[in-house]
Amino acid sequence: MNKLLSANFSRLKKDISFRIGILYMFAIGIIVPLSNFITMKKYGYTISLESGFCLYAFFMAILSSVFCSLFIGTEYNDGTMRNKLIAGHSRTAVYFSFLIVSIAAIFLMCLAYLISSLCTGIPLLGFFSDAAFPIVLGHIGTIFILAVAFTSICTAAAMLCQNKAATATVCILGVFIFLFFGAYIRARLEEPEYDQAYYFETEETSEAESAPPTPNPWYVSGTKRQVYEFLHDFLPGNQAMQLCTLSADNLWKMSFYSILIAAVVTGTGIYVFYRENIN
Amino acid sequence: MDYVLTVNAISKSYKRFQALKNLSMHVPKGAVYGFVGKNGSGKTTLIRLICGLQTPTSGSYALYGTENTEKSIQTVRKRIGAVVETPSIYLHMTAEENLKEQYRILGLPSFDGIDEILKLAGLDNTGKKKAKHFSLGMRQRLGIAIALCGNPDFLILDEPANGLDPQGIVEIRELILKLNKERQITFLISSHILDELSRLATHYGFIDNGHIVKEISAADLDRTCRKCLCLEVSDIRAFALAADQMGLEYHILSDTQAEIFSKITITKLILPLSEKGCEVLSIHEREESLESYYMSLIGGKTHE
Repeated sequence: MNKLLSANFSRLKKDISFRIGILYMFAIGIIVPLSNFITMKKYGYTISLESGFCLYAFFMAILSSVFCSLFIGTEYNDGTMRNKLIAGHSRTAVYFSFLIVSIAAIFLMCLAYLISSLCTGIPLLGFFSDAAFPIVLGHIGTIFILAVAFTSICTAAAMLCQNKAATATVCILGVFIFLFFGAYIRARLEEPEYDQAYYFETEETSEAESAPPTPNPWYVSGTKRQVYEFLHDFLPGNQAMQLCTLSADNLWKMSFYSILIAAVVTGTGIYVFYRENIN
Repeated sequence: MDYVLTVNAISKSYKRFQALKNLSMHVPKGAVYGFVGKNGSGKTTLIRLICGLQTPTSGSYALYGTENTEKSIQTVRKRIGAVVETPSIYLHMTAEENLKEQYRILGLPSFDGIDEILKLAGLDNTGKKKAKHFSLGMRQRLGIAIALCGNPDFLILDEPANGLDPQGIVEIRELILKLNKERQITFLISSHILDELSRLATHYGFIDNGHIVKEISAADLDRTCRKCLCLEVSDIRAFALAADQMGLEYHILSDTQAEIFSKITITKLILPLSEKGCEVLSIHEREESLESYYMSLIGGKTHE
């Protein structure tokens, strides 16, 4: 597999989607603290470095879908996947080599964000507050593990679909569905159990009357709530939504779910790829 | 005879469609094996199986005596190179970068030999030109150059002349002949351009509807197809006697029919036959081309 890794990393260095991904994340890393700094100056209140710092979880998810579908899709589009198999490499080795290179590429994109964000943010906004620092560190680690899960899913889709355009469509749409679903579940879980009580005056009596709090029909309760809470920690899109707002509570649980997703998806991907007819 | 590839009763099905049906074939070492068949007859399917891109539904094949079910087939595959359907090249890379990438895939310790391969394929002057800007012929040659990395001794080319202009076809042909003669590389070339194949092949395998109709060496095929006079005579014994006396090369087909392969004028032939009381009932010249041979094969006529 070392030979395949050497070949794939060498290709990665020249890959245009990888270079654009690095530049994009680097630029986002500058824009986020800079816009916070401008807002801070404009309205005169303090914004700390941790505010918006983990937004890259969201961009990482989108970039992993774009990168995997283009990088691996090229192998099918140009027919070069055949060269690897004809050269006598096992399908498992071919699969793993793409997975490892894709994970490395996404990690490097995330690092590009972190470096540019810290380099821009620390001089403008100062360092993280003492209370926030360990939370930010935990979130950064979990985002890297989440990147493994996202990349595993996108790698599996790209390895099993031999049409580059179809792969790109499936991966990008899939990630957006994950993210929208994440936003939806989060919104439902944040719904209050009761609508707030309110007070009003009647014209006739001019006395203040109050209406009792009414149950919120959008509130999710019982088993359904438990399922929603599980999905909120389990699904990669939901994890990304929690991590990018620094609001995740169950970091260990989420990391475990990410590793589980990556392992199951990769195992299934290799099993199907092993039986795939390559054209 | 040493065989590089032996295929034993191989079948391949895609859902309800059976692409290969109990196909068997033998590619001798050092041969240029012309794999002939019409579109959709199963040529590319067989090549994909041999290259390990797909697995057979039933049957087996052996590369250098190693069965496809053995684990060591992966090692044996390092001895083959292939261009399946379209050349497998990175379009955003130059010819040299493509070869370097293939060297890495093969795990070769250095890039020595790349210049030689580029020169051999006639791509040594392409410089920094990306493969996406290459002509079809150049891409085809780059595909072959990639297949040549690692010094394989068996090359599989699927329709190498497809879509090429006459000059491109000549270039590919010369490259194949050069590699076969100078490096003793065995070739399996699938094609339906029979005229082109007849200039290269030392052996033929004719495939139709997923199975091999006939395997024949080029020498045997030449013998079968060569120019001859076909005669129908009243006395075949008298014909044989006269032909022997004239020192003719002939072949008796039946009690009344014979073929003469030697060059002879009709006057010089008929007079001695007439003297021996043998009448010539009909006479015509026949020359079968590879094309007509192939057509008669898949049309059902046998050539035993």
